[in-house]
Order: sequence, then C-alpha cells, then structure tokens
Amino acid sequence: MSADLNTPALTADAAEAPHRRSVPTPREPVSPAALAAPADVAHASDRGARIAAVVIALAWHVAIALPAVLSARTEFAAPAVVLGAWILVAVTGAVAGVRLLQGSPLPPWPLAALLLVVDAAVFAAAGERQLFTAANWVWGTLGWFFVLAVWGRRVLGLIALLSTHALIALVAVLGHGPDPADVARYVMYVYGTFSLPVAVFVGSTVIVGLARERAAVSAAGHAMAAERDAAERGLRERRDRLALVSSAAGRVLGDLAAGQADPDDPEVQRRCMLAAARLRRLIAESDDVPDPLLHELRAAADLAERNGLPIDLVTIGTPPPLPVEIRRRLADPLTGTLADARGWARLTVVSGSDEVVVSLVTPDREGPEATGPPPGEHDDGGPVQYLYERDGNIRWAQTRWRR
Amino acid sequence: MGADPVAAVTGDRPVGVAIVDDHPVVVEGVRAWLANEPRLTVLATGDDPDEVLRAAPDADVVLLDLRLHGRMALDKLAELSAAGRRVVVYSEHTDPQTMLAALDAGAVAFLAKHEGREHCVETVLAAASDRPYVPPALAGAMVGDPRPDRPMLSDKEREALLLWFQSMSKASVARRMQISEHTVKQYVDRARIKYTRAGRPAATKAALLARAIEDGLVRPEEIGIYRSQATHDRTTP
Repeated sequence: MSADLNTPALTADAAEAPHRRSVPTPREPVSPAALAAPADVAHASDRGARIAAVVIALAWHVAIALPAVLSARTEFAAPAVVLGAWILVAVTGAVAGVRLLQGSPLPPWPLAALLLVVDAAVFAAAGERQLFTAANWVWGTLGWFFVLAVWGRRVLGLIALLSTHALIALVAVLGHGPDPADVARYVMYVYGTFSLPVAVFVGSTVIVGLARERAAVSAAGHAMAAERDAAERGLRERRDRLALVSSAAGRVLGDLAAGQADPDDPEVQRRCMLAAARLRRLIAESDDVPDPLLHELRAAADLAERNGLPIDLVTIGTPPPLPVEIRRRLADPLTGTLADARGWARLTVVSGSDEVVVSLVTPDREGPEATGPPPGEHDDGGPVQYLYERDGNIRWAQTRWRR
Repeated sequence: MGADPVAAVTGDRPVGVAIVDDHPVVVEGVRAWLANEPRLTVLATGDDPDEVLRAAPDADVVLLDLRLHGRMALDKLAELSAAGRRVVVYSEHTDPQTMLAALDAGAVAFLAKHEGREHCVETVLAAASDRPYVPPALAGAMVGDPRPDRPMLSDKEREALLLWFQSMSKASVARRMQISEHTVKQYVDRARIKYTRAGRPAATKAALLARAIEDGLVRPEEIGIYRSQATHDRTTP
C-alpha cells in the first residue's frame, strides 16, 4: 500500500519539495515509530479519497448510466453490445474498487486497456442517434473508472487515458458525418469528461501530501519535545550526582587545599579513601550496564584492591532490576566499611527475584568505628535493611533488600 | 574391586585418599595439605580416575578435579558415585551451576580450590564417614539455587547457609542467629542432606542419608519424600 503512496503524483511532488526542507528535524535520529506516524496519517487521508472515488464511479454507473441504457435499449445499433459492456464494466469496476480499498489494486494498464476497448465498442454500438445521449454511458462513467485504474500514479497517465477516450469519441463522431453542432457538443462533452475526474484525482493527491507533511511536522515536534525532556532530566540527574559527589569528596579536598588537613594523617587518608570509593561508585552508577548493582560493587572492590586490600567478590544469582535509590542503599553502607578494611575483605552478593543480600566481612581490629553507623540493626522500615556488627573476630556489614 | 567402598571407615586406621588431578603441582599441593593430618593418608595420585583406583582399590575418598584434560568429568563422577565411591569434587570452577551439577551427579562434597587446607581436610574426613560437609562456596550455591525443583529448605536452614557463605565463620553465624555453633552446623548439614533428593539416585547419596538418620540429623518420618529416590538402594521392605 505504501508503494503507491511513495509514487507521488506530478503536482504533489512539485508542491511538496520546498516544504520538506522547512520541516524541523531533531538532532537524534527519529525513532521508526515517529517516522511511521506521517505515513499512517497519509494512509488514512488517502483511504478517504479512495472511498470517495469508488463511490462516485459506481454510483454514476448504476444511478445515471443504467436507467438511461435501459430506457433506450431498443434504439441502439447493437443493444446487446451496449448492455453487455455496461455489465462488464460494472463487474470489473466493482472488483477494481474493492481491490483498491483493500490496498491491492488491479494492474492498472491491462484494466485501462480493457476500459478503452469497451469504450470503442460502445461508441460503435450506440449508433448515431444515441451518440450524445445519456444512454451512451461511456461519456459520463468511463472517466471515473480510469481514475480508479490509475489511482496513486502520476496524473499524466489519467490524462493519456482520457485523451484516448476523446480520440475514440472523435472517430465515432466523425464517422457518423458530423454537423457543426455535433462538433460543438463533442468539445463540450470532452471538457466535461476531463475536468471532474482530473480535479478529483489531483485534489486527493495534494490532500494526502499535505496530511503527510503536517503529520511529519507534528511528529518531529514531539520528538524534539521528548529529546528536550530527556536532556533536562539528564541535567537534573547530573546536578543531583554532583551534589552527592561534593558531599562525598568536597570537604576533604577543601581541607587539603586549605592546608587544614595533613596528607600523612591516617584519618585524612581514610577520609580520602572513602571519598574515592564513593566517587568511583557514583561514576559506576551512571554507566549503562546489564547488572548495575554488581557493576557498582565491582567498582568499589576494584578500588579497594588497587589500594592493596585482597578482596574476594562472590556473586550468586542475578539481581532483578533495581532503582538507583535501592542500589545506593544496598551499596553505600558497605563502601564505608570497605574503605576502612584492613587485611582482607569478602564481599558477597546473593540475589533472587525478590531478595538481594549484600555482605561485607573484614577482620575486626582495635579502634573505634571510623565510618558508618554504630553496630546493630538499622531498619527504618524501608525496603533495605542494614545490619552491622563486630565480634572481635570479624566486622560484618550486611544490606538486604526484600521486595 | 574387592573392598566395599561404602563400608563405614573405622577409627583404627587412617582414611585412605586417592587424588585425581591433571596438574602435578596441584597434586603435590593437596598431598602436602593432607600430609599434616595424621588421620589421612594418600594412597595414590594420577590424572586418570580408573588408573588411580586400580592402584588404590581401597581408597575411602576420591578427591577429583572436575576438569580433567580440558573437559568436565561429570559423567565419570556419576559413574564413580553410582558405584559407591565417595567422591569429593574440587575445582576452580565455582559457578553455582557446576557445584549443583556435581551434587546431583552424586559427589559427597564440593570444594572450591581456593577454600584451602582447613576445609579440604574437614571435607575429606567428613566424607569418609558419610557425613556432610558444606564449605562456604557450596553453601552459596545451595542458597542461591534458582531451579524450580530445588529442595525445599526451611527459613533457618536458608539463613544459616547464607550467613555461613557470607562470613565463613560458624561462630559469627551462631552469634548472629543467637544459636549454638552446633545448631548452625545442623541447619547447614540438614540442608545438604535435603540435596540427596536432587538428581539421579546414587549409592553415596543413600549412604549420606542413612548416616544422617543414624546421627539423628534428620528423623525417619521426615524422609518419606526421600524414600522413592532411594528405592533401589533398599534391601529390606
């Protein structure tokens, strides 16, 4: 169906070209859905025009031509030929109309050739007395069936068919020894048979083109609005992250820069390490990876390992997709403990479809809690439970999310 | 094979171990681990299970590297287990699927190569007496078992497995769960015994189950569901 839509008529082609450049285009490639929308609109519009054309052709053939043919059937030179031709065109026209509406039109040129043969036969069979009456139905009807035959093609094809039709009529008129009045009538009839079908044909093509263009403009506008929204959201997220980063690393960097913090002080080193771990995790958070939680934990583990801590990261199962807030609450408390770890660390993640448990175990050692909340269970009623304890043997931090 | 390999090991003599691995360095390393344990003696080593067992038909426990000459020896494992050989699989392949597949095939235990001497000696000793031993890596595989037909574990059993996998310290698990270390071990071992249901039947699975009942780890009335699996091992109605 789109094949004939993509073969623009001559007039529509010329009218469309300058406008196409003015259609605003989004920077990103437009999605296939957005591209399909204008075609859909054009299709809907074209379908309306097709229905109109089919109704006009068949209504004219049945409501105007048929009564005239029947009332004059005894006055034709060869009534059987005229009537048979009418039936042939009625059947062929109905089939062509249905196929056109279904989007699989009959092959245009064989159909046009058949119509022209009928044209010649009826002119020959009508006889001199019926030449210019309504009973010679090919005058009024055939032009509309030509429209159906070459629907969606260039208008030149339709003009060629109508010209041939005029030529056949001219031969018939001349063959009967015309007087000047007949020639005048002929010119009038030819004008009548040309003007309306051509007007409908061209008009529908132009309307379809305009509809497609309007839909394209509107789709491009929507795409640009969506892109702007996404860009704004991205900006907001970047700002939020920047605020988090500032709170993570800003103070210790500020102290170092101001000379208030001594880089040799273990406490300052620990704060730097914690800040680095948070930064690393925040950077990992914005990466687009299949398993963001594991990716973020791996980032923290990498950093600890690079700082000389042997770390064992074991994962069992695949975490379900989790919002960034949940992932932060699963990973963040452990990042603090990890920054504090000495000796070795064991980081484990056990995931099921409705539960994710992350645990960090490191050897316990003397000294106060350097980071994070004091030992105990921290359950604020949220979906993530945090547990931290030290038993003189190990320090054990665990976060647990339950659906 | 003259000796009944499933016969309970008596306390009088050291447990005979056969080591099957295609890396001589690993064989030597494991031999060195076991050499410090007077209750164990290495009878034969090699890279072909059949040859090693021909050399040591009385071996009580076979330590089998799951990957021999570039391929997974799961079928060999199943064959040995069906014949009643107590096979402890040890492998650097510690993905949960591989571990569970080894249990299904009848391995008495699965040991990750990085789990070291302590777990290795414990595992072999437990295996020799048909008792379960679940090193932390295997506990992780069991607690994360995603298969729809996995054994049904109780909440306590799951939690004990999970915490044991996380902390590798039964004392810490006991403190966390506010139970004794002995009870932690019971929960973990009961979970392991439930896995004798999974996969095809094997003489080793039946032996584990029988010993668990004997030890009071599981009660006979709890094992109605196991019976169908162990049918072919039952000699008396």
